[in-house]
Amino acid sequence: MTRRKRMLADLEQDIRDHLERETQDNIDRGMAPEDARNAALRKFGNVMRVKEQTWEVWSVVWLEQLVQDVRFGIRTLLRSPGLTVAAVMAIALGIGINVGIFSVLNGLALRLLPVPRAQELVSVNQIFHFQGRGDRLIHNGANWFSDSEYQDYRDHNHVFSGLVAYEPYVEANLRDTDVRQVLGTVASCNYFDVLIEHPARGRAFVDSDCRSRGANAVVVVSDDLWRGKFASDPSLVGKRIVLNQTAYTVIGIARPGFTGTEPIPSAFWAPLTMQEALEPGIDRLSNDNMSWLALLGRTRPGVTIEEVRADLGVIAGRIDQQHSGPRRTTSLAIHVATFFTSPEQRSFLIPVASVVLAAFALVLLIACANVANLLLARASVRRREIALRLSLGAGRGRLVRQLLTESLLLSLAGGALGSLIAFWSFIRITQLVTSHLPHDFPPFALNVAPNLHVLAYAFTLSLFTGIVFGLVPALRSSRPDLNTAMKGDGTSFGVGKRNGRFLLNALVGAQVAVCIVLLLAAGLLLRGLYSAQTLDPGFEIKGVATIFLNLEKQGYDPARATHFMQRFRERIQGLPGVVEVAQAECAPLSHDFSGSEFAVPGRADTVGVEYNHVTPDYFSLLGLPIVRGRDFNPTETHEAPGIIVTESTARRLWPGQDPLGKGLREISGREYSVIGVAKDAEVAHLGRLDTNYLYFPAGTEDDSRSYVLVRYATGFTNVAKSIRDAGRSIDPGVSIDVTQLEDYLEVWRAPSRIVAALSGALGALALLLCSIGVYGMVSYSVSRSVRDIGIRMALGADGAKVMRHVLWQAMRPVLIGATIGVALCAAVSGVLSSMMFGLGTHDPIAFIGMPVFLLAVTLVASLIPGRRAMRVDPMVALRCE
Amino acid sequence: MSTREQNERIELLQGTLDLLILRTLQRGPLHGHAIAKAIEFRSDEVLQVEQGSLYPALHRLIKRRWISAEEGTSENNRRAKFYALTSKGRRQLAVETGKWDKLARAIAQILRPGEQGEA
Repeated sequence: MTRRKRMLADLEQDIRDHLERETQDNIDRGMAPEDARNAALRKFGNVMRVKEQTWEVWSVVWLEQLVQDVRFGIRTLLRSPGLTVAAVMAIALGIGINVGIFSVLNGLALRLLPVPRAQELVSVNQIFHFQGRGDRLIHNGANWFSDSEYQDYRDHNHVFSGLVAYEPYVEANLRDTDVRQVLGTVASCNYFDVLIEHPARGRAFVDSDCRSRGANAVVVVSDDLWRGKFASDPSLVGKRIVLNQTAYTVIGIARPGFTGTEPIPSAFWAPLTMQEALEPGIDRLSNDNMSWLALLGRTRPGVTIEEVRADLGVIAGRIDQQHSGPRRTTSLAIHVATFFTSPEQRSFLIPVASVVLAAFALVLLIACANVANLLLARASVRRREIALRLSLGAGRGRLVRQLLTESLLLSLAGGALGSLIAFWSFIRITQLVTSHLPHDFPPFALNVAPNLHVLAYAFTLSLFTGIVFGLVPALRSSRPDLNTAMKGDGTSFGVGKRNGRFLLNALVGAQVAVCIVLLLAAGLLLRGLYSAQTLDPGFEIKGVATIFLNLEKQGYDPARATHFMQRFRERIQGLPGVVEVAQAECAPLSHDFSGSEFAVPGRADTVGVEYNHVTPDYFSLLGLPIVRGRDFNPTETHEAPGIIVTESTARRLWPGQDPLGKGLREISGREYSVIGVAKDAEVAHLGRLDTNYLYFPAGTEDDSRSYVLVRYATGFTNVAKSIRDAGRSIDPGVSIDVTQLEDYLEVWRAPSRIVAALSGALGALALLLCSIGVYGMVSYSVSRSVRDIGIRMALGADGAKVMRHVLWQAMRPVLIGATIGVALCAAVSGVLSSMMFGLGTHDPIAFIGMPVFLLAVTLVASLIPGRRAMRVDPMVALRCE
Repeated sequence: MSTREQNERIELLQGTLDLLILRTLQRGPLHGHAIAKAIEFRSDEVLQVEQGSLYPALHRLIKRRWISAEEGTSENNRRAKFYALTSKGRRQLAVETGKWDKLARAIAQILRPGEQGEA
């Protein structure tokens, strides 16, 4: 260190001595002193650069220069606080929303499971490749395992300290004061031990809990359920609760914060051996060809994921060999466990995430273009400073680095600010969104709090941003024409500096184009939302209550279910305020479909038809007239051959013919004939009438699982209460959920509403950034061309003329950008309309309204600085430079 | 400066300046200007050193401890910094010279395959 200091301290003196000696030599050779000095300097080369290069020999140069650059950068930025604040805000907005959305995705797909030492947990999934036709029963997850497969992997692997299996989303009715359905999990007995997730009270499962089927009715309940349904009863452990008609002893209460290993929280955990008790009539445990168990393994210390793949691959190969039936090979998908690891979930999440991230990145791009514009504008103001430094011998690379440091400082400051805002606001936004989901959306365990992933993303994004918006201005401004720059020639519009103006204009144009795309997308979605709100589904949706009854799940056998249903319907019929009662296999718009393939006599191929089993009063209750033929009569049941088709189905299947009496054959071979034609209505899919649809008469077979529809004339709350009471008076343990039919509409609308709100907010943000960009460009060009304007005015142009000129200059890139944006959006709107229902691809109102709106906003943004141009005093303008 | 003259002057190869400095200092300590003069003079002014570039090179050599710098007085009694070869530098000079000879021979062989010998 001292050596370095000593050496550098003398450098200046050394160089001076050197030059003096050389000058003296030259004089001795007969040169004039002046010439001698110049010749010496020529021969020596660039003194400044020699010094720099010598310093570089000694220092950890980049570090020293970095400190220098940062210091200088901060000073420069502080000198123009307006610009700095504008740039930081723009970047903060851009990066903030990107970090926010990433933290949501992170919460969904990257965050490890909320259990101790989660990095050791891997999820195991299998993908079958059949030769020829393979068959496999699937429950919940196509890539999951059967119990026998689970045991094989559990007992023969060498890589796990434990492997658990569980079936999530088991619906159960909890008998309680207010009977409600909850979602629970049946899990292998090692579940809590392998996850290192010890219940906060009581105990976890022990091996004896799983010794024999159906014998050990024990349950661990979630903290939420304990607090919500049992009022934090401290003596709950040891008590009995009834789930789906079976009494279970509560052995433990899970730790608060442990909601299971799936995104939707589990309310309870029962041993795997209790599966059939919880799902009466379905024996999954004995079915070796059913995918129903999700697998999670905890790796032994030091075992890599490749070793896990290799080890389990051997077992998979052996199972394939022992497998009877069509030959198949199994490949395993093994990933560190998160809430979204199965191949199915990934294949859904990745495209959605990329669309969302792309949309958000567009906003960041606008912000970048904005800041680049600001920097370019300022770089021109700094041209003299930069020219001075270049002419004093600063290297161009060094100068670019200096300018880049400034932009990185801006982007890091903006990124930090934006991330802070994002961390704070997105937690609240997700809470807002999840709390506004329609009531039958399950609660969602989404942790959007920042972690290392999010911080790394924010940092990388900031760096990237800084380079993106900083590089072009830095490269451009470090290459000025020294002569003109030093002369301080004010550039005027139209003349000279074509290049610079072109770049500015291109940036503004690009911003406008991107902004138009986002605005149009938002506009289309809002229009779609509007049409969804005002849409007439074709049947009378108001004043109808629906009751979904899954009596089979509640432990009823078919006879009891029919008995209950008959009495239930009779009681409701007699309730005050009830007008009409009907029963159907699927309620309209309930996301509950049945469909099958039918053969039409005279046609070679089969057609897919969705169907519903309904009672005769279904049509009158929903206001669906039978336009031809007749309705079902009450004596017709599943055995009756008559069916009712919809008008459009009749037109499609028998164009130009009378559909009455026409036949349809089901794949099973049963023949049906048309006895009636019902009016079209969007009963299955909102916004779609193009699906084939037919009605079968309902029968006692439907009673185990069906919807009861009730048209009422009084208030919903009263009716709902009396309906529930009617049900309990027949069986006190029955679980009855009464909703309004209109609520189903909400489920259809919710996605478009959320997406519309999101894209509307994005579009607004883009517009804000864009108008700032236009404003910045115009006010910059006005301030640069004060002299020009002065000359024009001196030559007789009036304020209006100047204003027109300024506006035309400003709007040209805006118009070009807008045109490009509209064209782009017209090209991609097909993608959007396929994702959201009720969306016109080329909705004229959106396609005309949004660009006009944007043009109006940008016009206002350029009027403000334009007014300044009008007020230029020619005398002052001409004198000032 | 005529065009002919310029053509005869050769730009230094990367790294050769270090070698030339070491060789120049073999005879004894010199100050910066003298080193530049010596290189020019001894190459019959064919090698054109931009004199400034001498300084970063000198400092590089000092940093590697191949030469050292000490205060002294020059011919005309002026205070100056003298650069001298260290023992490490002396060894390095031998190594570098050997390398250079090899390189020069090799290049000569490629350029003039017939004429063997004098390097």
